[in-house]
Amino acid sequence: MNFDSLIDRLADDLTPVRRRRPWADMLTVAAIAVAELALLFAVGFAHMSLHRMMTEPTLWWRLASLGLISLLSGALAIRSFDPAYSPRDGLRWLALIIALCLAFGLLMGGLPGGLASIARRLDWTSGVQCAYKMALLSVPPLIGLALLGRRGAPTDLRRTPLLIGLAAAAWGAFAFVFACPFDDPLYIAVWYSVGCGIVIGLARLILPRIARW
Amino acid sequence: MADEHWRTLMMAVQAGDTVAYRRLLVEVGSWLQAYYSRRLPSGMVDDASQEALMTLHAKRHTYDPSKPFGPWLAAIARYKWIDRLRAMKAAATEELSEEPAVRDCGEAVQSARALEALLERLKPAQANAIRLVKIEGLSLKEAAEKLGQTISLVKVNIHRGLRQLGELAQEEGHEF
Repeated sequence: MNFDSLIDRLADDLTPVRRRRPWADMLTVAAIAVAELALLFAVGFAHMSLHRMMTEPTLWWRLASLGLISLLSGALAIRSFDPAYSPRDGLRWLALIIALCLAFGLLMGGLPGGLASIARRLDWTSGVQCAYKMALLSVPPLIGLALLGRRGAPTDLRRTPLLIGLAAAAWGAFAFVFACPFDDPLYIAVWYSVGCGIVIGLARLILPRIARW
Repeated sequence: MADEHWRTLMMAVQAGDTVAYRRLLVEVGSWLQAYYSRRLPSGMVDDASQEALMTLHAKRHTYDPSKPFGPWLAAIARYKWIDRLRAMKAAATEELSEEPAVRDCGEAVQSARALEALLERLKPAQANAIRLVKIEGLSLKEAAEKLGQTISLVKVNIHRGLRQLGELAQEEGHEF
């Protein structure tokens, strides 16, 4: 096809478009996340001793850290759907914030003693279940962000899927906090990281194929 | 890049203005050709430019008119360029065989030239008889009619001509 006929074809195909608006995307994802949380509370997903746990500082550490990570990574992911925006610097700051959150939690819980103490505190059978549930809870925001990403035009197909995965995983973990009976910061740091890592890894693996344009 | 001008055109395009769109596509098309001609082999420039124009069409809703048009266009052009480089890298490169894909006629051509040079050194009657019967494949009768000779004379001319050709070839080291 030569240039003139292509221009004719594209001009004939022109229709007015509704511009992509990042704040509308953010509202969409927020609505998905809030709806998921409301549904979980409605079906009795929250832990029975949630009222007691609300007095524990680790609950607020978890909620604040995961909420902040989810919010920041979601906003960065949505910004990166603009082809001219590179999320490289934002991702670096996010890595620093995650490291600070983890360090803060570990300091709260005290440093682990011997190997036996670590193994007991980690309780791997419960940990695997926690990681699995967290991963499941991250699916709705993951799908929402992936669809919005497809409508946008992300040009960094390594970092944008990473950010989508991180935002969804952090939200899945945030929602899971209300059902999680454990409050040992070491357990939380390890198993929440495993759950989030699985979601991030899958997003990094699958989303570049979907988001390609 | 005429950024402000293109930004205005793009705003009109997003509202569905076909005239502005044609103008933008022509101008952006030229810019894309210049962009890709510095980055891709010349044979790929047209295809890459057209693909980028189609992408601009498909992703025109992602342009925010409050921002400059240049970085948006450059990001799309660069993305498509990287895509093309990736495709080039992924495409299997076929190693050329040492043997030519078509029958090698080099020796036959050389032999035909040498034969023609030798035929020119024979008497015209002998050379013509050999050309018609031994090279073009006519029968003795057809050759005799064409040359205005008897069949016996054609036979004699061929016989003597071939013998002389053999002698000339031996002198010059040719093999037929």
